[in-house]
Amino acid sequence: MANTTWEARDWSDVPKWLVPRPTAEDREFWLGAGRGELRIQHCTNCGRYQHYARLLCSHCGKQTVAWVTASGNGTLYSFTVIGQNGVPPFNERVPFVVATVDLDEDGARVIAPMPTLDPADARIGMRVHATYRAAGDEFGFVDFAATR
Amino acid sequence: MCIVGVGLSDGPVTPDLSAVMLEAQSFRRALDDAGLEKGDIDGLASAGYGGMHEVALAEYLGLTPTWLESSSVGGSSFEFHAMHAYRAIQNGDAEVVAIVYGNNQLSASGRTLGTGGGGGGGRGAMSLPLPMSYEFPTGLTLVGAYAMAAQRHMYEYGTTAEQLASIAVQTREHAARNPYAMYRDPITVDDVMSSRSVAAPLHKLDCCVISDGGCCVIMTTEERARDLSHRPVFVRGAAGGTTHHSIAAMADMTHTAAAVSGPKAFADAGITPADVDMLAMYDSFTYTVLVVLEDLGFAPKGEGGAFVTDNGGNLRLGGALPTKNDGGGLSATHPGMRGLFLLCEATRQLRGEAGDSQVPGAEIAVAHGSGGWLSTQGTVVLGTEGS
Repeated sequence: MANTTWEARDWSDVPKWLVPRPTAEDREFWLGAGRGELRIQHCTNCGRYQHYARLLCSHCGKQTVAWVTASGNGTLYSFTVIGQNGVPPFNERVPFVVATVDLDEDGARVIAPMPTLDPADARIGMRVHATYRAAGDEFGFVDFAATR
Repeated sequence: MCIVGVGLSDGPVTPDLSAVMLEAQSFRRALDDAGLEKGDIDGLASAGYGGMHEVALAEYLGLTPTWLESSSVGGSSFEFHAMHAYRAIQNGDAEVVAIVYGNNQLSASGRTLGTGGGGGGGRGAMSLPLPMSYEFPTGLTLVGAYAMAAQRHMYEYGTTAEQLASIAVQTREHAARNPYAMYRDPITVDDVMSSRSVAAPLHKLDCCVISDGGCCVIMTTEERARDLSHRPVFVRGAAGGTTHHSIAAMADMTHTAAAVSGPKAFADAGITPADVDMLAMYDSFTYTVLVVLEDLGFAPKGEGGAFVTDNGGNLRLGGALPTKNDGGGLSATHPGMRGLFLLCEATRQLRGEAGDSQVPGAEIAVAHGSGGWLSTQGTVVLGTEGS
């Protein structure tokens, strides 16, 4: 259990050094999050999905991946409640939930914080959905929230 | 193929020794232990955090080896080194191999490394290599990655935090007998459960220590071993593997590559888990021990929790599987990577040199390393001559 009583924190502050500095390979993900979309890759050969973006499909190995916008819906595979993180601004946000989410798109899994979820309410198997948070002028971060 | 020399540096806190000094000190002690000199060494293996680490080390030690190995797969790197050295010596590619590792991680970086301290802050997160560039901005820590895996095991199999805590308690009991262990005072399950929650469900006392320290293990042919100081310890089998790098890519967080490396190494050695007298197990976190005990076949999948607590504690001296009798990473020493210390401890047990921590009559010991975020697993089976 967490060390201190949980309260919802403001995660909107993104220090300059934490703002994404995309490469050609991941730029679409960060831009997508900036406009409120979860961008992942779909393989036209095997039909499965993947996150993070790669040149090849990690499932079948073919170079047949294309960007698509995910539904944003998924299921909590596992989670932890971070009680100690020495890096600002995370040190001021503890305790908070970080989740491993299996997206409804088969084969794609995302790790993301759940800033609005009380750790006491976190359950493996719960339905969750993506939310978006600005990171600099054009990019964004993907968070998850409980789906009621 | 035999282990003929082992050396430990000073430790676990050595503010006046750099990482390479710790390596050199353990190398010298292993040479002395074996009855060898540096001119005998024609193979060198090491892993560090930068490129060409083993080359810089060779220069520092005044070695010009013709066989070099630098598999850098996290804490289990040294089980991979031993596996590769075993094959290389078998093939005649090298005759006398030194595996060396040292790190002054505690004195250089402090003790908050697994939670983002020790230089983690202030860096451009997005200049991190894949896949960390995606993970870092989530606030996930190294401890948190293991915690997510532990949480999943609890969900699937009903494993409890108390069962995980028992691993830390039994390990501390071993550490009490090791004068070089970082922490030696006995602890209880309640102590673990009431220690700070670093990343639920893992508490502070579920996490390994951060220490300084170095270690060296020297391997050679059976023929050469006959002329040296100690009763040789034989490498009977070895295997390794990886399933993922970052925790997000660990498809099933309740199964590791040890489920492959263990059976393969045991088959190579012609043994079963029941033949193992002691386990020198990598214990970055209590969960690491629990899941790998299952994967190696010491307990059925999902029953690791019961296995560690049954019989008053099966990992204790006198238990079914005395495990990390030097006090492990949880209590004794963990200088960044610990895999080499496992080979040293297993060797000392099979030589009968382990003093108060000795498993009486130990003939088969297994050193098992785990690296990264449960990412890489390496199993080495060691045995006495008649085993």
